[in-house]
Amino acid sequence: MSRKYLLLILAFGILLAVPSVIQDTFFLRIITEAILWIGLAISWDVLAGYTGYLNFGHGAFFGVGAYTTALLMNLCGCPFFVALPVAGVVAGIVALIAGIPTLRLKGAYFAIATWALARAVQQVALVMDITGGPDGMRLPTYLHPGFFYYLMLGVVAGIFALYWFLLEKAPFGLKVKAIREDDQSAMSLGLNPTKIKLQAFILSAIPAGILGAIYAYWITYIDPASVLGDLVTDQAVVMAVFGGLGTLIGPAIGAIIIFSFKTYFWAYLSNYQVLYLIILGGVIAAGVVFLPNGIWGTISGYLQTRRTLKQEPVVQEKTDKGAHHV
Amino acid sequence: MSEPLLQVNAVTKTFGGLHAVFQVSFQMNSGEIIGLIGPNGAGKTTLFNVISGFYAPNKGQIHFKGQDISGKPPYKLAVLGIGRTFQVVKPFAGLTVLENVIIASFAKHPKRRQAEQHAWKILETTGLADRANAQASSLTLAGRKRLEVSKALALEPTLLLLDEVVAGLNPTEADRTIELILSLRNMGITILIVEHIMRVIMNISDRVVVLNFGQKIAEGIPRDVAMDSGVIQAYLGEAPL
Amino acid sequence: MELLPQAMIDGFLIGGIYITIAIGFSLAYGVMHIIDFAVGEWIMLGAFLGYYLNLWTALDPFFLLPAIFLVFALIGYLVQPLVYRVISGKKGNPVLMGLVFTFGLALMFRGLALTSFGFYSHSIPSTISQNSYFLNMSGVFITIPYVRLAGLLYALAITLVLHFVLKKTNFGRAVRALAQHREASGLMGINAKRISSYVYGIYVGLSAMTGVIIGCIFTINAQMGGDYTVLAFFIVVLAGMGYLAGVPWAAFLLGLVQSFFLIYLNPSYTLMAVFVILFTILLISPKGLFGRGV
Repeated sequence: MSRKYLLLILAFGILLAVPSVIQDTFFLRIITEAILWIGLAISWDVLAGYTGYLNFGHGAFFGVGAYTTALLMNLCGCPFFVALPVAGVVAGIVALIAGIPTLRLKGAYFAIATWALARAVQQVALVMDITGGPDGMRLPTYLHPGFFYYLMLGVVAGIFALYWFLLEKAPFGLKVKAIREDDQSAMSLGLNPTKIKLQAFILSAIPAGILGAIYAYWITYIDPASVLGDLVTDQAVVMAVFGGLGTLIGPAIGAIIIFSFKTYFWAYLSNYQVLYLIILGGVIAAGVVFLPNGIWGTISGYLQTRRTLKQEPVVQEKTDKGAHHV
Repeated sequence: MSEPLLQVNAVTKTFGGLHAVFQVSFQMNSGEIIGLIGPNGAGKTTLFNVISGFYAPNKGQIHFKGQDISGKPPYKLAVLGIGRTFQVVKPFAGLTVLENVIIASFAKHPKRRQAEQHAWKILETTGLADRANAQASSLTLAGRKRLEVSKALALEPTLLLLDEVVAGLNPTEADRTIELILSLRNMGITILIVEHIMRVIMNISDRVVVLNFGQKIAEGIPRDVAMDSGVIQAYLGEAPL
Repeated sequence: MELLPQAMIDGFLIGGIYITIAIGFSLAYGVMHIIDFAVGEWIMLGAFLGYYLNLWTALDPFFLLPAIFLVFALIGYLVQPLVYRVISGKKGNPVLMGLVFTFGLALMFRGLALTSFGFYSHSIPSTISQNSYFLNMSGVFITIPYVRLAGLLYALAITLVLHFVLKKTNFGRAVRALAQHREASGLMGINAKRISSYVYGIYVGLSAMTGVIIGCIFTINAQMGGDYTVLAFFIVVLAGMGYLAGVPWAAFLLGLVQSFFLIYLNPSYTLMAVFVILFTILLISPKGLFGRGV
């Protein structure tokens, strides 16, 4: 256990040193975006992996955060660090409103309702004058790759630490898992499933909004197709499922693998960008069939079985070690 | 005698025009063990679900500690002091036995550390302490039923509803569970128990309530109820008492 | 005011099409308990097959319907065992894995379509496309395009056939038994796996045929799937999940909402309106308009 977190701290240390080693802004940019995707994938997994509710509209929170920032900075001249928390709060409020009617119901309703939400939000951005319609919005330019790198790293590390504390250390994590395992039993033990799922949903939406805010200020140009398009959600889902649901490390691993692949693919096969969709879809469909616990779930399940076998060479428990990762 | 702990007053629950429970009334005093019996489909589990808040009654009221609780959601009743088990056991399969009980302990001990200490105490009472770190899904049926009781117990309930916690166990396991139930009574917990095995009900209950087709057909001390002609008739064709 | 009858007729005609989308979707949900995210993609693929067949054979798209049904029913029948494998898995949460799986299928299909068909919109020409029926109701003129009328007739025919199959045939009884009591029907000797394959095949075939009709009335493009998935879901929720009898009413309601936005307001707001109605319904009556869903 502690070795795993030592490795994480080591990884964080290496990432801190990256800008002083790598001067190439192109690579810095790629690593910044990779960190962004780690944040999006784990924030998606907080709801999906821990409560079992699939949010197919996660991109809406990202986009809402981005547009909130753009609007605040352009219309009221707000400084970025005022807009940033507001973006998170607005995303959280959207989650609250969308979650109340849908989280009482079965997961399938929620899945498509969130998807419809994302399309509706995109539609709003497309038809409103204030958001620039399909032309999108431009933000004040601040060209400082190092600043964005450290901001992204700090925020994602903060999100990771917060999630780790809440889900693995604090009572909240066990409550959430109880609801995923059996909501009737959880109810009979004093837990209000709708309330806890709503909390998890908001907890998953706020970081997405904040990441959207950073993205908007960093890229300086947003439009409905880029920040509110399906691709944001699609990628976050594939990364988390492929990496392994119900853990924090799994989606991070998934994000790194899928994002590296995407970067490579788009750089060398730029004429075939739509092929990427086919591969993304294929990866997730095949993953569900052949690796239902994701990469990390499979690896840690394998390690755990080996450890158990070493301890009790004869008796092997019949339980499915990987089950709780999904 | 002060006012009863639980007062069920003419409770009716219908499903699509069918009366699953019809105008059932009874009351429980503190420290009592009441057996709820009746043939299959008599409405015992439905009544359990109504008392524990999983179904709202169509008619009638339920008072617990003098407070009207009819229609309140289960999670509120759990905190008020009504613990229950499920006939089809519902462990949190992917979590450890200890974690299962910690979750229930949060109701009275919101801090993780205190909840964990409390959970250990409960597991020692119920005899599951040596399996604390095993996955709940790895337990045997007897173990799961025991875990079910442990979870309900961790709520520190004043009223405990036990739904067939003995059925399906072998005689040794059954005796251990009966011992456990009696020790709970000594701790001051009031118990309403549904059980198919008459030997259990007749031995441990102070009073017995008999349901048939959703209606209460008899109530009294076990010996009298066993002689009641209506009860015998309801059970004709079923296992003899 | 003079537009009102036209708006209502339009809504009624569009609603008919939506019935066929939602009925298959609802049927598949009833039997397999999964929501198929790829429903819009099946519609899109069917539409493109219709478009190309029409281009090559010059046959009227309405005559192509049976062939398209057969092709896609076969595809559905062959894909279903994969879906079944995912949703009957022992690990994790199979229902959610089923959702993720069909989500992956949808992505793949969309990518495939974009690669092979490009981004352009097409329409499928039918011999009756150009003609309309004009109605003069005491000074109020109503236009009823023949294709739309044919679309409605197609929808009604499908509904009647399905109704007959479900109520009168052994296959239909088995499907209904499966939808109601999964475990019990297994005990009664109903082969859940085979029935599910047939139902999924029928559903995919129906969706594909409807895609062709949509291509005759509106336009088709590789990215159209998502919108129809949302609409299918909207109708099924409005009707009450798994409650087939509610589907036509919900479909007509959606058709009306759409035509009113088209005529009186800005059509860009349709999706938002649909969404607001959806959320209101879920908030007030989670089991649909009739309170009969599951």
